[in-house]
Amino acid sequence: MKRLKFTDLLITIMIGVVFGILMKFWDDLYTVVKPILPVARQLIYGMWFMVGPFAYLLIRNPGTALIASIAGASLSAFAGHGIEVLIYGFVQGLAAELLFAAFRYKRFSMAVAGLAGVASCLGSFTLDLFYGYAALETWALIVKYGLRAISAFIFTGIFAVLIVRALEATGVTSLIRPVDKKEYTMLDR
Amino acid sequence: MLAWFTPRRETWLFKVNPALKFIIFFAFLLITLFNQNLSFAVWQAVLYGILFYGFSGYSMKKLALLSIPLAISFFSSALTIVLFGKGESVLWQWGLIKISEESIQHALLLGSKSLSFGFVGFTFLLTIQPILFFYAMMQQFRLPSKYAYSFIASFRLIPAVTEELQIRRNALKVRNIQFSRGLKGMYERLQMYTVPLFAESIRRAQRIAVAMEAKQYQMGAARTYYYPTRYSLMDGVFLTVMAIGLGVTLMLAFWR
Repeated sequence: MKRLKFTDLLITIMIGVVFGILMKFWDDLYTVVKPILPVARQLIYGMWFMVGPFAYLLIRNPGTALIASIAGASLSAFAGHGIEVLIYGFVQGLAAELLFAAFRYKRFSMAVAGLAGVASCLGSFTLDLFYGYAALETWALIVKYGLRAISAFIFTGIFAVLIVRALEATGVTSLIRPVDKKEYTMLDR
Repeated sequence: MLAWFTPRRETWLFKVNPALKFIIFFAFLLITLFNQNLSFAVWQAVLYGILFYGFSGYSMKKLALLSIPLAISFFSSALTIVLFGKGESVLWQWGLIKISEESIQHALLLGSKSLSFGFVGFTFLLTIQPILFFYAMMQQFRLPSKYAYSFIASFRLIPAVTEELQIRRNALKVRNIQFSRGLKGMYERLQMYTVPLFAESIRRAQRIAVAMEAKQYQMGAARTYYYPTRYSLMDGVFLTVMAIGLGVTLMLAFWR
């Protein structure tokens, strides 16, 4: 485990900001879907939990999930989504970060990433309780947040892991991650 | 686009230290978030509405235009709660839809909170310069420069990223890429767009970081600032106005 170098930090925040832009476009889709298909709308909600776990899977440094999540949220806030998204971004990032910390920052599997997404979802649910989005009938509450948690798992567990693998194939991750012991021994041969 | 965001006149809110303005607004919105009292929530929305419509310095036409998304967020957030919200004293029921007195109250509470967040968010965004906000965060609130400069650098790259996204969209269209249906298609779409976008953004961010360090940027080193920001008399005015606003809204809501 190492501290964040400046390069890592800049890349983390950049990823958060790019995610913020993607979420802006995703939001347009979301707004179209919202009134007609409330179920489909909850199923694409996982996108909002993806940024933190994704950044952590990519950079593999403590703190990246939280920082990237805040960065993504601040872009959304600057794009006019209101300051409350900053609070949500902070809580969601913190929840994902704590989950990775619970595994001592050593696990990068689909299951752990997916759980981080569900943790983020739980964090946002807690805020929703205070905000008032959760003042629903019990059945509606279960449907809404159940679908949302499933979506969180799919987006952060499956999609994020697969996209990170695709990015590894392009070779850009070699700019970020520390040099492996294996690569040093290759040089000695 | 940016020319649109020039105010008609610069009100006193423009002269408040941007970092202080952010911290105070943020603290006030935390109160809004955790508040569960309907009349307090409504009066708070009124207070922030006065700030937004009266003191942001923009013409009424522009403010009316900005009010559209606020109205949409008010109704869309309130509607679900009205129709599916919990409550005992039922007014009208049809299948799964059940409107009760409590659900209407919850919806109004939620709607007023959305309005408050929207008003404050726009008031803040309309009366600051983003660069000065980050400089003030560094100077008045000791935000480490590594975060501030990373944010500034990333924000500067937004136009490049959106342009890239546009190019990618056109490229996929020209190649007539067909996506599968359902979940698989959603992943395909996500991958097709994000992989090149992230690969390029990571390379770009890394180049910027290397360039900054090559020019002797050091994390945690003592620095001077190109844009000095400081407190002024207007900050006192701002604090007083916000304190009085909070006092008055509390009184209107709870004092009988």
